[in-house]
Amino acid sequence: MRSDVWNSGLIVLDGAMGTMLQRHGLQPGECPEMWNLQHPERLEKIHKAYIDAGSQVIYANTFGANRRKLTPLGTTVSEVVSAGIAIAKRAAAGTDVLVALDIGPLGELLEPMGSLTFEDAMDRFREIALAGAAAGADLAVIETMTDLSEARAAVLAVRESTDLPILVSLSFGEDGRTFTGCTPAAMARTLSGLGVSAVGVNCSLGPDSLAPIVAEIARNTKLPVLCKPNAGLPDPATGAYNLTPEDFAQGMLACLEAGATLLGGCCGTNPAYITALKKALEGKTPAAREWDGASVVCSATNVCRIDGVRVIGERVNPTGKKRFQQALLEQDLDYILEVAIAEEEAGADILDVNVGYPGVDEVDMLPRVVKKIQSAVSLPLQLDTTNPATLEAGLRVYTGKAAVNSVNGNPESMEKILPLVRKYGASVVALTLDDTGIPQTAEERVAVAKRICAAAEAMGIAKEDIWVDCLTLTVSAQQEQARETLQAVRTVREEMGLQTVLGVSNISFGLPNRPLITQTFLVEAMHAGLTLPILNPNQREMMDAVSAFRVLSGEDEGSTAYVERFAGWKPAAQAAAAPAVQEKSAAPAAGGTVRTLQDAIIKGMQVEAACMATAMLETESELSLVEQHLIPALDRVGDDYGAGKVFLPQLLRAAQAAQSVFEVLRTSLAAKGGAPVKKGRLILATVKGDIHDIGKNIVKVVLENYGYEVLDLGRDVPPEKVVETAVQENIRLVGLSALMTTTLPAMEETLKQLKALPNPPLVMGGGAVLTPAYAEQIGLDFYSKDARDAVEIARKVFGN
Amino acid sequence: MEPEIIREIMERVPLDDALRYSGVPKPTEEDFAEMRAAADRLKRSLQPRRVWKVFPVEKTPDGMSLVGSGLVLSGHMAETMLADCPSAVLLACTAGTALDGAIRTWQSRDMAAAVLMDGYGSAFVEAVADQVEQEISARFPDLYKTDRFSPGYGDLPLDLQPEILTALNAYRLAGIAATDSLMLQPCKSITAVLGLSPRPQRARIRGCGYCALRETCRIRKGGNSCAL
Repeated sequence: MRSDVWNSGLIVLDGAMGTMLQRHGLQPGECPEMWNLQHPERLEKIHKAYIDAGSQVIYANTFGANRRKLTPLGTTVSEVVSAGIAIAKRAAAGTDVLVALDIGPLGELLEPMGSLTFEDAMDRFREIALAGAAAGADLAVIETMTDLSEARAAVLAVRESTDLPILVSLSFGEDGRTFTGCTPAAMARTLSGLGVSAVGVNCSLGPDSLAPIVAEIARNTKLPVLCKPNAGLPDPATGAYNLTPEDFAQGMLACLEAGATLLGGCCGTNPAYITALKKALEGKTPAAREWDGASVVCSATNVCRIDGVRVIGERVNPTGKKRFQQALLEQDLDYILEVAIAEEEAGADILDVNVGYPGVDEVDMLPRVVKKIQSAVSLPLQLDTTNPATLEAGLRVYTGKAAVNSVNGNPESMEKILPLVRKYGASVVALTLDDTGIPQTAEERVAVAKRICAAAEAMGIAKEDIWVDCLTLTVSAQQEQARETLQAVRTVREEMGLQTVLGVSNISFGLPNRPLITQTFLVEAMHAGLTLPILNPNQREMMDAVSAFRVLSGEDEGSTAYVERFAGWKPAAQAAAAPAVQEKSAAPAAGGTVRTLQDAIIKGMQVEAACMATAMLETESELSLVEQHLIPALDRVGDDYGAGKVFLPQLLRAAQAAQSVFEVLRTSLAAKGGAPVKKGRLILATVKGDIHDIGKNIVKVVLENYGYEVLDLGRDVPPEKVVETAVQENIRLVGLSALMTTTLPAMEETLKQLKALPNPPLVMGGGAVLTPAYAEQIGLDFYSKDARDAVEIARKVFGN
Repeated sequence: MEPEIIREIMERVPLDDALRYSGVPKPTEEDFAEMRAAADRLKRSLQPRRVWKVFPVEKTPDGMSLVGSGLVLSGHMAETMLADCPSAVLLACTAGTALDGAIRTWQSRDMAAAVLMDGYGSAFVEAVADQVEQEISARFPDLYKTDRFSPGYGDLPLDLQPEILTALNAYRLAGIAATDSLMLQPCKSITAVLGLSPRPQRARIRGCGYCALRETCRIRKGGNSCAL
């Protein structure tokens, strides 16, 4: 097949399949893909009508041909897809019309929104791709996607299992985003890097409304752009679409103007629309395109355009941080997420993610941490590892366009890292060192940068995706190196025109008043051309300097952001008593003065509770703090909650204040190398099939703050996983949660499997639909009506 | 939906309902202030979508058939509700996936705030469904609506959930899916049926008899009702 076909002028695609199937008698609720087996002649007729109307590419009737949908109907993906492709090929015989394997969404939400894993999604797409390629499709179209993660899974699956060219299009709503919040720019930047032949939009709106979205996509990709709009908007009462073929074709000229060159129709269109489109396109040529050459990294919802200084947060990293190391070893991903959230709140633009630590299986851990952080933080991530296997595991599941930290001038590093950067369309940090070490002069470092740059560009990595790190050395040890670093930054920026990265904190190691040195170096470096400082965004001095720099560079127009940052600013002497920056969003102070730690906890005052606990550790042990102050305070709130005097939010606020005290204790114990305060370990899980887990999470927060260690298995947990963990960890108490009548059987099954163990643990259950009677009937040891109840049960079980 | 309509819906969300869903049955002024703060934080995460369609109703031995949808609503509930209705609306609406994301994020930051947001989300999606009802009324000014009822209410089977979504093409048009265990995704989503009749319809769905939570409900134990 002509590989450059997508670049050769305008291409007319086909129109709606579903609309035509209904016209040919498809009944409501009937599976359209089954027609490949039942009514091939009708499908062939539809394809031929589109070919006659002028379509140069036809989409086979395979949009929903996935395992989940077809298995219950007693057929297979392979059977339905082969039949669909064969029909389209028959219709196209004797023409040069291309036949596309059409791949739509799986109809289930992927994690973190749903429970389908990225890996399972890839597996299902792979099955479709293999069947389509075997049946002789000319290309694959992945369309109507609304989740960038699902689109990525489909693209990777097709790419890895076939050599079909791929066209990919997402559906955007009136607000310019997909249902899951993905923006056109994020979509274009991410998918263009994955080796597809064209990107674009289909469905959801009419051509007029899609034209601005097409324009944004066109600015963010060098690839051809495709556009298949609906025939306007449907009337909810009748389902009829509001555009005539002629109106539609006129509207499509706006999409052409916006940069689309592959044009067709989606819902509500039929061959008459394609005929009108073909006619309207006569004599037209592709519009001139304007590529936004800026360096960009992104998540699905957040595009970071590097046209000024952008801060890379460095805190998701175990180096020198005992508490973080402990979290990695205990697989406490919630703690890691909290660190990431704090960085986002502090104003970081990109987060560096490093999980390398002795005893941690990085290849397993990095993708889990990436998924966890992306479930709640929208910032783009920079995956920080030099291990290729770890890197690939992380890049694979990352939704968006990531940065990779790092490659260096060592040939082996380039051979292993750069192909992965290329495959996943990432940006990469190039360290200016090689197997001979760190060059001592600016010239030598620039030479290494040039070598890496040449190798990367030869591999097809764009210049704007190469970020050079000229390396910060410790000024107290090698004083002359600070100037060399700055000079190298200047050269890379001015002469090579590349983005520059520096981890700035290193500079001040071993000197008093480190923030002053670091801040001064940061300012000098930004002045020299540093665009991507890696730093601790929780350190106010650093973010202050960045904020001031943005004023002086003109980026912060009208100094708006600066003024906002320093609203209410007071000279240092007056502000001396003000609290530190890295506070959690403080709970509303319930008023009044707080005299004791118990008071602070009861009133849910996190900052105060933590401060008091820190002070009290001077004279009391961690354990005594828990037993004498924390638990009694929680008990009092718990009793009030039980009596209906306070409600759930207050109970949780108190728990959170207790949490902040626990953080103080954990840090104190980790520093001494002691074990954390633990009163008993238990499992909590939301049962298989159940995806609502806020109830379980509430119970977890409260239990943890009574000192219990909770192994949180998450939601949609198969019974086997609960049993396996219970055995491995020798667990004596398991808590199961179920929200729906449909998932109660899963609770019963999990219980049954647990009770079949030689030494079965005790099991408590809770959740909206669980009644005491049902709990007894299925043989639960305890019915837990709420979080407070769970604590009482834990006390009974662990005898404390 | 357009930003103005989302704002209007937000204004109509009953905060006392939202608080009740968050486990605060007797809110103080301070609780209301916190719920308002929760709503404010969620503002940008509310991306309601809806899809609805009208079908003729036909009584069959298996239940009330919505002709052209492939759906037959079995049970006493549907029969009573649609007895006097030549046609009925199927609707699906959602507060969107961003809300789920925001609640997830806040669970890591501040569980108490997340609980308030979760309650707000529940009240919000109900208000979205109310908005859809207004749209329906505007479109059919001469017809009367029954109360809306959903799979899981009374004896209307929960396993209609995926069929309703299919009949409305709701995954494609509004991003709503059902799991194999019949839970809707995004979490704050509703599917419902309501009858259209040329004659006024009396309110029927009130009281705990229809509610799946009646046996464990705290409000009911306290002798009250949420007047669902």
